[in-house]
Amino acid sequence: MVRMMWEDAFSEIPRSIPRIVWSMDRCPTPMACKKCLEICPQAVFMLITVKNQKFVETDVNEPGAYAMHPLFRDKCVGCLDCVRACPAGAINIAFEGEGD
Amino acid sequence: MCQYCMTHGHGQVWYKNALNYARQMYKLRKREGAGDPRQKELDPESQAGLILAQAVEAKTADPQRYPELKKMANRLVMQTSVGQVVTLQEAMDIVDLASPIALMSCVCRKMTRGKVEDDERSYTCMGLGIGMFKWDRWPERYKGGVEFVTPDQARDWLRKWNKKGMMHSIMTHGTPYIGGICNCDYPDCLAIRYRLDYGINQLIKGHWVAKVDYEKCNGCGVCVSRCQFGAVKKEVTTGKTNIDMMRCFGCGLCETGCKRQAVTMVERTTLPGMRGVW
Repeated sequence: MVRMMWEDAFSEIPRSIPRIVWSMDRCPTPMACKKCLEICPQAVFMLITVKNQKFVETDVNEPGAYAMHPLFRDKCVGCLDCVRACPAGAINIAFEGEGD
Repeated sequence: MCQYCMTHGHGQVWYKNALNYARQMYKLRKREGAGDPRQKELDPESQAGLILAQAVEAKTADPQRYPELKKMANRLVMQTSVGQVVTLQEAMDIVDLASPIALMSCVCRKMTRGKVEDDERSYTCMGLGIGMFKWDRWPERYKGGVEFVTPDQARDWLRKWNKKGMMHSIMTHGTPYIGGICNCDYPDCLAIRYRLDYGINQLIKGHWVAKVDYEKCNGCGVCVSRCQFGAVKKEVTTGKTNIDMMRCFGCGLCETGCKRQAVTMVERTTLPGMRGVW
């Protein structure tokens, strides 16, 4: 496994960073599914525990208890595997200039 | 010399200094005078997490602010939770210094891959010290509880994950208090990711670097598949492994995976060119 920490050549060409929107309305219980977390080759998503209470275990089926955040979206290559894997259609990825 | 050894080593390697596992060191104070009232309610690690996220976001979205945010993130992680790579042997020595030892679930793997470790067979993280007695306060963090183990059991567990290809690092919980030993890989481990991809130094290189003995190496490539830092390659021209020692973090996975003892771990400070590389 070779990973180079290289700087982009042709750096005068701006790199396209996607806008990734995850919709909690469509996916209220991400921890019960986690398909996007598992499938992403670049591990772009991060799971946020919204409900973290002392002495109480969070129910994965409780709506709104967890949220998905595309923290590492600068690493997204735009393969759209997550969009296809999502049973709720909750992920929307748009690269600027690629049609919206 | 390693900065943490200078400030917290008391004349020795800082993670071999039993004081850094002692009960009275277990404290994480809230940051005073944080502007945002919502931030005040957070524990220091979550506060650091917020700044880290801002720096990650800024790397591409706001390059002008990135250096400043990175500096801030670096300062915060150094105070709250910072890791240093240790070899398997060092990790196995550490379990004799701290008590109690408890196996627990990894928070990074849960966040990045949604992996829930809720029994003793799947636990990939090790908590050290007095804080582990309070695990039941946060059932969401410690899913399925924790497993208290003896030093010998802990060593077997470390060997198991090392064999599977995880590298070990110590992690502070309010530096210099060492609160645990992690078993990490890329990209699941947030500390490795922050360091490699965003230049945030939540993971410091270890006290050792790997060096290949070209006489013994037969180029089988096992070490290449074990490196989590992209430092090891198969050099086709020579038919041997090549390790970029500048990229090496000193975890020793290539050494423990090599069947011909072709990799030796060299002390970082003995190499003039490596002394300042952490």
